[in-house]
Parts: sequence; C-alpha cells; structure tokens
Amino acid sequence: MPGSPFDGLRRELVAAGAHPATTPWTELTRAGSGRETASVEILDLPFRHIPVGELEAWDSAVAFLDGSQHVELVGHVGTDPVVAAVIRAAVRERANRQLRVTAELSRCVVVARGSVLDRLAGVLTGHERINLDASVPPHPLHDLDRAHAAIDRARAALEVAVSRLHRAAHDHWIIVDGTLAVSPEWATDPRMIGVVKSHGALPFEGADLETYLTLPTGHRSSAFVLGGGGRPELHAWGLRLRAWEGHDLFHGLVRVEVAARTAADVAPDLLSGRLLAERSPLATGPRSDRMLYGIHDVGRYLRVRSAVT
Amino acid sequence: MTTLGRVVATELRPSTPHQFSFWTARDAPLGIGSIVRVDGDERVVYGVVTEAFAYSDLARPLDAVIGADGDPQREADAPTVRPEIRLWTAAVLRQIPEEPLQPVPFGGVTAASDSDVRVALRMDAFMQPEKSTGLPIGVYAAGGLSAPVLLDADFLLGPEAAHLNITGVSGLATKTSAVTFMLSSIFQTFPAAKGSVAAVCFNVKGPDLCFLDQPASLGEVDLALWRRLGLDPAPFPDMTLYAPFKADGVNLNTLRSNGALADTVQPLVWGLREILDYAEVVLNRDDIDAKADALIDFLAERVVGKQFEAPELRGAAFEVQSFADLEEFFRAIFDHLETSRGGEVWRTHHIATIRKIRNRLGNIATRSKGLVTDDGVANDLPWGAFRDRSLTVIDIAGVDPLAQDLVFARVISRLREHLERRDLGVDHVVVFVDELNKYAPADGPDTYVRKMLLDLSERGRYLGLVLFSAQQFRSQVVRRVTGNAGTTIYGRMDTDELALQAYSTLSPAVKAKLAALPKGELLLRHPHFTQPVFVRFPRPAALSGREGVERFPPAPDLPFADAVVRRLRALTPSIVADQVRAVMDGRPEAEVRRALSATVRRRPDDPFAFFRAWLRRTIPSESPEPRRGITPLASDDDDPFAPY
Repeated sequence: MPGSPFDGLRRELVAAGAHPATTPWTELTRAGSGRETASVEILDLPFRHIPVGELEAWDSAVAFLDGSQHVELVGHVGTDPVVAAVIRAAVRERANRQLRVTAELSRCVVVARGSVLDRLAGVLTGHERINLDASVPPHPLHDLDRAHAAIDRARAALEVAVSRLHRAAHDHWIIVDGTLAVSPEWATDPRMIGVVKSHGALPFEGADLETYLTLPTGHRSSAFVLGGGGRPELHAWGLRLRAWEGHDLFHGLVRVEVAARTAADVAPDLLSGRLLAERSPLATGPRSDRMLYGIHDVGRYLRVRSAVT
Repeated sequence: MTTLGRVVATELRPSTPHQFSFWTARDAPLGIGSIVRVDGDERVVYGVVTEAFAYSDLARPLDAVIGADGDPQREADAPTVRPEIRLWTAAVLRQIPEEPLQPVPFGGVTAASDSDVRVALRMDAFMQPEKSTGLPIGVYAAGGLSAPVLLDADFLLGPEAAHLNITGVSGLATKTSAVTFMLSSIFQTFPAAKGSVAAVCFNVKGPDLCFLDQPASLGEVDLALWRRLGLDPAPFPDMTLYAPFKADGVNLNTLRSNGALADTVQPLVWGLREILDYAEVVLNRDDIDAKADALIDFLAERVVGKQFEAPELRGAAFEVQSFADLEEFFRAIFDHLETSRGGEVWRTHHIATIRKIRNRLGNIATRSKGLVTDDGVANDLPWGAFRDRSLTVIDIAGVDPLAQDLVFARVISRLREHLERRDLGVDHVVVFVDELNKYAPADGPDTYVRKMLLDLSERGRYLGLVLFSAQQFRSQVVRRVTGNAGTTIYGRMDTDELALQAYSTLSPAVKAKLAALPKGELLLRHPHFTQPVFVRFPRPAALSGREGVERFPPAPDLPFADAVVRRLRALTPSIVADQVRAVMDGRPEAEVRRALSATVRRRPDDPFAFFRAWLRRTIPSESPEPRRGITPLASDDDDPFAPY
C-alpha cells in the first residue's frame, strides 16, 4: 500500500509485536451475519499448525461445483416487494487437465408474499414461486432481506440437485464452493469436499483462534468437528493456501470440510496437499487468494451462461 | 460442412460489412490466408483470415508467475489448463446477396469448399461454360482443400485491366518461376476467341530464362498441382533466344551456347539504321535539347541509308550505312569547320552539337560492341512474323547497361508500333522485365527506358502490349508502373520493405507470413478479388537457369576461325573445318562476319557454298608492306650528344 498515511503506524505495530496488514479495506474479509464462536471438538490435540507436506495430484478426475444467482427487485404490489431471481448451478469435471460441464441446472424464481403471488399468478407463468412467511408482519425492507435469504436457500437446493445429477453418472471427488452443511446428502458424501472462503463463523477463541488465523502457508490446522445436534458430523480444518503475512489474517485461508467418514478414510494431509496443488493456475478476481481455479472456472461459466440466456 | 467456429462481435470489436471476428476450437485447421464461409440471417459471407489471436483468462503476466510460485515448470504441472481462445479476424471477400451491404451476421463459420472459393473470389463471373476467360495461376490450399484459382484474361492481358507485377526477395526463384508458370498457363488456356498471344522476355540475370524450352524433372507434388489446374506440365515448345555477340562478333554473349541448342539461338545484331531512331536512349537529361533532336532527325531523314550530297564537304556523295561511314561523315564536317571556310556552324547545326551527337553515337558502337554491327548486316526479331504462343527470350544479361537500355527501348517501341498497326503477327504480347527497380526506379533519373515503361504500363493494354514486371523492392519502383498493374503478386518479402507505409493495408499477420513464405507460395491481388489471397503454384515444367547450365554447359569461347566453323556447322554438321579456314584465309574479320551473318540469316541449302560465294564477291585485301624508315643508329655509336 504505497503512500499510505499509516505507514509509520504500521512500522510501530511491527515494533510492538503486532502483525501489520496491507489488504485494502474494500477487500477485507467481513464477518457479515452469523458470527459464531461456539467451541468445537478438536480432533488433533493440541490445536496446532501441521505442515501439509508434498503437494499431491489427484489420482483421477475431479469435479468442481458452484452456483450463482442474479436477483432483482422487480416491483411492488402495494408496499410489498416482488423479487425475481435466476439461480444456476453447474458441475464441471476435469479430465486430462481440461474442464467440461457434466451437469447444469437453472431456475427462475419470484419471491413475494403469498397474497401478492396469487394476485400476480397470471403474469408469472414460467417462474417458480416462493412464498414469504405470511406470519411475519409485512415490512418492505425486512421482506427484501427475507426474500434474499429464500433465494439463497433455493440456490443451495439447486446446487444439491445438480450434484445429485452429476453423482448419478460420476463417482469422482467433487469440490464444492462453500460448506457441506447445507445438505445432509453432502455432509455424508464420502467423496465431497467443501471449501469455505468466508469466515463469518469462527469456531475458536483465544489462543486457538490465534493459532487458527496465523497458519503459515502450506500448513493446515488440527482437524475439528462441526455439526452435530441431529445433523451429520463434518470434519474440518483450516488450510492456508497463500502466505498471509503483509496482507491480513484471512488472506489465503480456507476451511476445508469433509464428511466424518471421509476423514477417517483419507488423511487430511493428503486432501490438503491436493487442494494446495489447485492454487495453480491462479484464479484472478475477487478473493483470488483463496479461490481454487476450478471453482473460479465454474463461476465464470455460470456468469457467461447468465449473460447468454 | 463442419462448423469450425462462430462469428463474435463486441462493442470494441464489432462486425462490419468488410471485417468480422470469429472463434474456433484450438485445433481448427485454419491459418492466415484461409478462406471461410459464414451462414446466417439468410446471408452468406465469404472472408479471408487476416489476423489471429490466442489468449487465456490470465489477466496479467504477473498472475502466471504468482500462480506458479515463480517456477515456470510448475505452470506446466498445474492440474488445470487455462481455457484458451483462438480468435480470428477475417476480411470480407464477398457477401451474397451483395445488396443491401450489411454487417457480417453472427453465424456459424465453415472452411470454404471448392465451389465456395470460386464464388468468394468472384471467379464465377468469368468461368462460365463455353466462354471462360480464366487463366489458372495456382491453387488455394488450406485444411486439405486444393481449389484452383484463376485470373480473368480480360483483366490480365487487357482490355479491362492489364499487367502483372511481382515482388519478392532474390534467390528463392519465386519471381522467375511464377512468371514462367503464368506464361505456360496463358499459352495453354488463353481462349482462342480472344486472339493470339506471344511473349517476349528479357533475360537480365545469368541464365535465368535461357532454357525455358527444355523439360524439367518434376516431383509428384508438382505434377499433381499441374493436373489440378488442368494444365500440361510441358516446357515452351516454341522458343527462340536472341543474344548479341561478344566483342569478337562471332561468339554469342549468352550462357545458352551449348551446341545442342544452337538451332533455337539467334544473334541479335543491329546496324546504324536500327540504332539511330533510339539514339535518345543514350542521351541523358542534359543532352536532350531541340538542337540535338534536330541533328538526329537530320541524320535519320537525310543522311543514313541515303545518297547525301554535300559539295562543301567533298565532291562524292556520302553513303552512310554503318558507324564507320558515319564517323567518316562527321570527320568531313569537322575538317570543313576547322578550316577557315566553315566557322562554327554547318547547315544550322553548331559544331558543339555535332560533336556531342557524334560522341554519344560513337559511344553506342563502343559500349555495345557485339550488339551493334559496323558491317551493315542486322539480325533482328521477327517483326511481323511473331507466332501465336511463341516465346522470345532476349538475353542481355552479359551486355553493358547502356546496350540493355537500348535493347529495351527498341524492342518495346517496335512491339508497340507493330501492335498499333496490327501487323506484329499476334494480337497480344506479354513483355517480361525483371529488375524493374533498375529500369524504372522511383528516385532515379527520368530516362528514356523509364518513360517508355511508364507509357507501356499506362497505355499498353489498349494495344495488347502487356507488361509482366518483377523486382525485389516494390517501393523502389516508380509508383505509376506498379500501380497500373492490375494483378500484383508478392513472394517472400524483406521485413524492412514490409515495414513501409505502402504495405500498411496488409495485416501484421499477413506480413509475418509474407516474410517467411515458402518457395512456390505467393500472395495474389487481382481486380476480381476483394482481398489478396495466398496461392500455391507448381514448379515450372521448364529448366531453371541453374539446371539448364548444368545440363547444357555453355560452349567455351573459340578463336575467331573456330567460332565461324562452329556456327556454320550448326547449319551443316558435315562442313569441313579446313575448307572454311582456307576460304577465310587472308580475309579481314569484318568481311568474314558479314558473310557468316548473311549465311546464317539466309540458311541456304548449301551453307558452305553460299559462305564461299559471299566472300568471293569481295576482293581480298592485302596488307601493305611496312614502309621502310630511316635506319636507326647503331647502338655502339659513340656520339657524345646521343640521348642514350
């Protein structure tokens, strides 16, 4: 960050034993909603940095899954908002170093209160309708947030559906952009990996949190358990894809999730080495520090498809 | 018809009526110069690929470095290959329908087929059954396709347009080979309904064009190309080579002097009469004035070849037939003026003008010895008797540049005169001139030859006089000559030349291809083609100069008497050398040359008898005994005042 008015302050922070950061404010990882600091069960005690070792190539084809959504407020009926979205999900499988689409789904949805959707029934042909909970009092802004959440859920469901479509014909590993906790089906799939780039949910506090957030590049954290409470357990660990020093604590940090039984069969080090190998080629664009190229490729494919159709 | 790609257009790179972009898979069999077809919106568009791009989704080169952790090897090991685009730019050759002219539609792109090439290059306009005027020049080859490309005779040999100019670096045989092949094609396919055609080629370098009547050994690839073009791979059956003599007047100044080919080699010999009309050729800009013109006209109209009475010079009339006679005439004028009788002007001509013209004309005789004879017996091209599909090669490679200019000027001027009168023997004549940057330089002096080539390029097509010209650097040739060429060919080009503004209409990719063009390929512009296209032509079926010299090594120069015997033996192999020598014995060489020239020209049944009879008509000259002078002093003379 050349020419920053805080360069002097950064130098003083270094002298005081702090970690200076240079990531621009607009690119910082933000918590958003859903901050979580609940304690979790740590599997490899003590909680520590574990070098991953040699990078490992996948021994077979591997697929990448991502979804996208295009949301617009299309109008109001009275004071009730009407939100429309196109949601998409696709799987692109890599064989011989080339990525090809193996499954793809899309839906057009309209989200509004049930009464509004009923009134618009005549003009909503070809669109799926999602009702907002009528028990919640109407509020134009809160309804917008709830519509957005509904679309997020619809997109997650579509991603699960497209993975199912792919699974019907392929049993290779699938790397998913995001958490596996969205679906019990994913959370129990023995050949599925979730790569979580956002860190709104941080399951540590104190020294463990510092250990987690100061992982050196090419290292993973001790594995820990997520889920429970009736949901299938997931095993997870932090993995530093790129050096964070000089950027910020979250630079290059992802959380890797696999089904509990997967972790028992396949060493986290092996999976981490394989994911580290996916750093190349570099995926350019937002959050490129923790974006795997395969995921980036699916995202771009979906964006292009949105523009075409 | 497999779809190879699709047209793409963006705001920054839109489709226009003259250009479009399309993408293909990485392994699409296309390249610079490929002809493609676009189908869409009830419109068919043909284009030729002029530029190609490839790029990946990499935003910055630094991203590649970061992605590979600075290790180039790791990039090759990356588990995923970045997607890569092959993006092509094509220039529109033709749209159907042609009106209204619209931007190229976003259709599928396919490689052009045989019939597509014909339509794309508008060859359908002149390739109608029964009245085709197409002249094959090569094949368009791409992706396994080999489609013949034809030129329209009306636009190559007139009257619609005419002339052909070819540019290319030396040493790759492209220029000579292309013109040779083109002449073969013209001779084999020029429609009889369009009249007769002959060619006159000036050989200005080594043996380049000396063996065009001798068959070359062609490989299967070349033979297949000849067949694909519907042509017979044969050399020129009717070729005559004209060459001046060397200074000795008996040995021909050509590398085609092997005895086995003597039948088709003729001496090119001109006398004073032939030269005088073109005296302007040897005059530079400073020389040309009304006074010089007036004197030359006076000589041509009143003196040369006539009985000229000038009592003030001498009692007997002058009969000026040769340069020697002319020198005698000038000498008489100077003698007259240098006496008190004359002053500085003779019959309105100033002595300075007379001296200048005398020097310039004398210069021709000196520098063009072998071409210009002083014995009055000329041997010229068959004016009025040119044969249909005949090839005349004039070998001036070994003569002085002044003599070359003279040959150019006279031959082209005579061709023009005869074509104007329609009495040349043929309706069209193709004249091939190599090294055009030497004869029509862009920056050089405004010589007679340059003016003559300009005139030929600007007005020749109306007469049927067509210029095929070649040069290494087109930029160094006067633009009006190259610009008037309806058909332009580029062989392999020098990159410095391609960097000039004159080539700015060619894309960088086309230039790159031109700079590395293999033998046998060329870029072709023709009035029917909206864009230049690359074509491949076969090796000519005639021997190249180098091959010819290897197969027919030039005969060594012989002493005068032996050279005379050899030339007579070419007429009658049984002639006895000693008999010829006996007849020649004691005769001046000039007389023998005259007799030999008459014999060769007349080709009598008994050449030796004719030769002997010709010499008998002249009285043998006798060399007078040297006059006895004063006996020198004895060397042992002790005269003390002797110088030594």
